This record gives sequence, structure tokens and C-alpha cells, in this order.
Amino acid sequence: MVATLAPAPVKADASEKRPPRRRRLGRDRSRAAWLMLAPAAIHLVWWIGFPVLATFVLAFTHYDVLAGTVSWAGLDNFREIFADEVWNLSIWHTVVYTFFTVPVSMAIAVVLAVLLNAKLRARAWYRAAIFMPHVTATVAIALVWMWMFEPNIGLFNALLAMVGVAGPAWLSDPSWAMSAVIAVGVWKGIGVKMLIYLAALQGLPGELYEAADIDGASGPRKFWSVTLPLLRPATFFVFVVSMIDAFQVFDQVYVLTPQGGPANSTTVMTYEIYRTAFSEFRISTACAQSLVLFGFLLVLTLISRRLTGRDEDVN
Amino acid sequence: MDATAMALSRRRLLAGVVGSAGLAALGACGGPAPGKSEDSDGEASGEIRLVTPIYEEEAGKQLLDSLLAEFTRKYPKVKVQVDHTNYGKLNEKLTTSLASGRPYDVMMMGVGWVPPFAAKGVLADLGESRESLDKLYNSRVVEAGVWEDKVYALPVMLDTRFGIYRKDFFAEAGLSEPPKSFEEMRAYAKKLTKRDGKKLTRAGIDVLAIDLRQCFLPLLWANGGDLFTPDKQVAFNSPAGVEALSFMTDVIRVDKSEEIGFTEPGAATGIPLVQGRAAMMIGHHNTWTEMEKTKPELISEDKVGAFLVSNKRSAIFQGGTLASVSAKSAHPAAATALAKFLAGPKASLAASEQRGNVPAAASAMDSEYVKKNGFVQFAMQNMDSAFSEGGVPAWLEIREGFKPAIESALLGKRSPKQALDDLAADADKAMARG
Repeated sequence: MVATLAPAPVKADASEKRPPRRRRLGRDRSRAAWLMLAPAAIHLVWWIGFPVLATFVLAFTHYDVLAGTVSWAGLDNFREIFADEVWNLSIWHTVVYTFFTVPVSMAIAVVLAVLLNAKLRARAWYRAAIFMPHVTATVAIALVWMWMFEPNIGLFNALLAMVGVAGPAWLSDPSWAMSAVIAVGVWKGIGVKMLIYLAALQGLPGELYEAADIDGASGPRKFWSVTLPLLRPATFFVFVVSMIDAFQVFDQVYVLTPQGGPANSTTVMTYEIYRTAFSEFRISTACAQSLVLFGFLLVLTLISRRLTGRDEDVN
Repeated sequence: MDATAMALSRRRLLAGVVGSAGLAALGACGGPAPGKSEDSDGEASGEIRLVTPIYEEEAGKQLLDSLLAEFTRKYPKVKVQVDHTNYGKLNEKLTTSLASGRPYDVMMMGVGWVPPFAAKGVLADLGESRESLDKLYNSRVVEAGVWEDKVYALPVMLDTRFGIYRKDFFAEAGLSEPPKSFEEMRAYAKKLTKRDGKKLTRAGIDVLAIDLRQCFLPLLWANGGDLFTPDKQVAFNSPAGVEALSFMTDVIRVDKSEEIGFTEPGAATGIPLVQGRAAMMIGHHNTWTEMEKTKPELISEDKVGAFLVSNKRSAIFQGGTLASVSAKSAHPAAATALAKFLAGPKASLAASEQRGNVPAAASAMDSEYVKKNGFVQFAMQNMDSAFSEGGVPAWLEIREGFKPAIESALLGKRSPKQALDDLAADADKAMARG
């Protein structure tokens, strides 16, 4: 069967009331569109919509996955998690991780993007090398860093030993474990941020730089007064995406410092959710924790929108 | 029929199709359709699902395939669908299968998991008597699969932890025998510790190379303590428990016989005792396998020995893998037959040999594998001193708190008593939740 598409109605007069969009497209086109969207829509509803809905519902219940029983809990799960010292600690660790990884990696990424936007020999290779950590499996990265952090034969302590400093047990000492995890997070996050900044830099109007040159602006002055302000939409985008990403950090923390790290010194919200659900079988509590994480991301996104961007910036 | 009516009709049709698909999918999540468990002649039949955290890697899969081929020769009307996983992901598999209403027919799980699952009605009573099983296995091994006097799981293989020491280092230090008490362990450890300036080069005793909970528990048991009282009250924060944890903290903080960060479980650098970086340890029997692979001369020259962790009594930590059957299995006869087959002497020995573990079946004591593996043999010879973790339905939740609690004591953030008391308070809350 061949589908025939109805021609779009000709707009006769601007003052004439616009016909409904559906009629304009024509029923056949509309139907074809729905049919094409259907697989993705069903997939989204089934794999994302229902689980999200289930999470919201289960957070307010006592669901015993082993016994298969459900009863209404009201806010009990939320009271329980906020009375839990380890969960509160995990919130703090997540905030600390985000606070250090996002701005630091953004700052490094923007500098690298500016450098790699200049005409350099083998520029593509440098870009690829910096982007590489983003496309490498996090577990593989974490394993390599574990070797480097190894206190007895690891690279870092070997380098420190050369200058007479006894290196710490990076991943086993609670004083250092979070710093080590943050360092890996910063390193891993630079690539994709650099790429976004690079794309944004290539869209900046050259005449502004010519004008700045005529005015005798130095390189740093151009960076601070021209480049950075023009990068604001990209900065907003990178900031929001990085923050969400940082709040959802899991795999590198899980591999580098298993079971929440020494004395829970690196446990983060996602790990606590995982532990509550799959090690302790407390699904409803884990759902409540997930809603708290969701709330954090929502609030932070709204705040960052207020602080650093407007709708047109995103557009 | 006008176009609008036709469109509505089609819309309804589409909605009906999507709705039906959704209901069908929901139905699929609703649990297995009742099936025939056995034929009229009593023979087990049906298609069953098995989830296993052992039989890992290619060699393990091949072994399981050959075992299942043997099983299906015996039970030709049973078809087994296998889901391979590892212990790290087993909980996720079990959780999702239970939440979906389609639990695996046969579940292989660890010691300590049986009470939570049996108490909540997940596992089927296998109808076995303790007496009949005691003839096949050591009674301590059978105990791990029992809940409220009913057998819910059969032992397949054991994971044991006990004392391991370097005979050559002991001889150098003028020590002829392994320690028999906490006091001797500390004294020997101090004597055996070596430093290059301030840098620790050899730990006198290594308490960090295995999971901290699994290191603490044999000390607790050896000191006469237990995790819970017979009436399921928390007991690990008793004076015996505090002394056991104090032993660990004193080794590190007072005697300096080991340092935080010197090693950790599964360290990429291997087991310090095998490398000559520790003189004693509380370790897993698979240390033998590592020696076979990396330092076979330690075995051939008889440089390594095993000892029971002792103080007020002797103790071996006994973990392991058990085979259980879902209470919701549509084919309980077939599932039970498979669980019994996997826990049988032949399959148990083969699985243990492939993984380097201790066979659960007592008859394996005379096998070539056990005779060749000194630590497996040691564990089997001393099963009367074996203790298992768990014992209460909330155990899977409670055990998560041990590592941070022990670490906080080792790091000096809390006293051993405070660390265990806080953990006991959390355990009480977990048990109250049910």
C-alpha cells in the first residue's frame, strides 16, 4: 500500500484563523508520524516511564521484594533515610565530588579548548588524546588508576619517593580516598567538556577578535573579555550536564573504592541507592533515596538556569 | 462511515493493540504458568531456570554444560536454562527475578543468604532430614542450609578462611610452631615484622588481605563469641567481640605489625604472604592456588603452613555456595532433582576443583584433588571447628555495616567497643524492620 500525503493547506490570509496543526499535516501524515514514533515511544514508556512511575509510588510504600508484600508507608522511608548517618554522608560526598570535579574540569577544558582551537601541528591528535578518556570504559580507566595509586609499587608513590616523600595509601586512607576519586573524575571529565567548548569556539564571530586586536587587547584580555562571555551558552550547557553527571557518579567510585571506600569515606548517593536496593533488598528505601537524588538534580538545574543562563542561551 | 468515525475506530483499534501488548507483557511478568512438575510415572519433567554465581569463565561454563548433560541423561524430560553470573551481581539477578514474579527455579547462593530467603518464603523446604544429610556432609556444613529446623539449601562447595603462615620466616625468627592464642599471634607478629627505616617491608600478621568482616569473624568465634544468640539477639558486640576487634586494631595501631594501605582484598599486587611481604595472615584457602600459579616452590619446599585461629576455642570461617529451590517453582520435582544433583558428591567435587574450593561432600576427602591441595585438605580435616555467618533474616542488611565499622576502629575513629555497639544498634533496627 502506498501512502499519499495530503498537500499542506495554502495560507490565504494572515488574519484568517490558522487551521489545527493536525488538519494541516493531514491525517495520513499524522498517522505515519505516530507509527514511526510508536516504537521509540513504547520503548520510552516501558523502560523509562513505568520505572520512574514505579519509583515514585514505591518510595511511599513498604515493599518487601522477598516476601512480595506492599503496604502504604507515607513518608516513613524519607524519615528513615534522613536519619541514616551514612546516607547523609553520601549526600555530602556527592556535593564535595561535584563541587571539585565540575568547576575544575570545566576550567581546564576551556583552556585546552582555546589552545586546541589555535593552529597547532598534530592538533587533531591532541584533541583525540584529550577526548579519549570519555570514550574509554570507566572500569578500565579506574583499574589503571588503581595501579597508579597502589601504595607500594604505584606510579605516584614511586615519583614521590624520588623526592623523598612517603606517599599515602591513596585509596585506603580516608583522608586521601576522596581526593583520589576526584582526581580521576576531573581527568575523565575534561574530554567531553573540551569538545563542547571547542565546537562553541569555532562558532564565535571573528570580527570581535579583529576589533579587539585593533583596540590593542592582549591575549588574556581577549580571553576574559571576549571569549568567555561569548561562551556563556556553552558554559551553561556544560555546567548543567556536568553537574548532573557528577551527581550520578557511580562506576569509578565503585571500582576505585569498593563498598563505599575506607570507613565510608567515598560513598556517594548512587552507591548508597545501589547498596540499599541490591545488597540489602530494601527497594522502597532505595526508591526514596532515588527521589532525593532526583530532587537535588532538579533544584540544582533550576538554580543554575537562574544563575548562568536564560532560555535563549540554551537555544 | 465518515472519516472521523473511521479515524476513531482505527484509534481504538490501535489503542486496543497497544493495550493488549501491554497486558501480555505484564502477564509475562506475573510469574510462571503452572506447569507439570512430574509425569504420571513420577519422573521429574519441565523446563527450569538455574542462576549460578559459580562455574565462571569458559572452563566453568564447560564444566556446567557437561554436568547438565549428565543430569538430563538421568532426567531426560527436564530442560535446564542457565543464567551465569558472579557473586557481585547475584543480588541484582535475584532481586529482579523476585520483583518480576519469575524467580529462578534453582538458585545457587551464599552461606548467610538462606535465613533471609527462607524466612520470607522464597525458598522451598527440600524435605531432607538433617540426619540423612549428616551422613553426606559435615554437620557444620549442613547447618548453613537450615532454617528453623528445615533444610532449604544443600551445600555445593565451601569458602574457608583460617590462619596461614610462612614456615621459613618463622624458622628465621626462631619460632617452631604457629600461634595458639591471640597473645601469641600478637607477640609472633611483632617479632616477624620487618621495616626498612620507617617503611614496612614485611607485615608480621596481615589482617587486611581479605574482607574485613571475614577476618573479624574467625577471631570473634575463636574468642568464644558469636554473631547472634540462639534467640536471635545481637551478640557480636559482647566482650568477646570487642576483644576480637581490639586484636585487629592493636595489631595495626599498637604493635604496628601492619599498616592501613599495606594491602587490601583482591589487591592487584597479589597476596602479600605469597610474595614474602607478610609472615602470617588470616586468609582464604585459595592462597594455595595462588602459590601453585606464582610461587610453586613455596609448596614444594614446604614453606607455608595453615593453623586454626585460636584463643578460647579454635575457629574456621566457613562460607560457601548452596543450591536451593524456589517456593514458586512450577516444576519443583525437576528443580529439587537438579539442586540435589549439583550438591551431589561428583558435581560438588568437580565444581570445587574447577574453582579451587573446598568440596562440601565429605566423601571428597579421599579424592586426588583434596589430597594435592594442602589448604583444602586442612579445611576439610578441621570442619568441626567451622562457623558460618548469618543466622537472622536481616543478615544481608546487617553484614553491610561490618566493613565500615571495623575500618572506623582500625583507623582510630571509634573505639572497638563503640564501633561494635553502633553496628549492633543498626542491626537491632534492621531486625526490627523485619
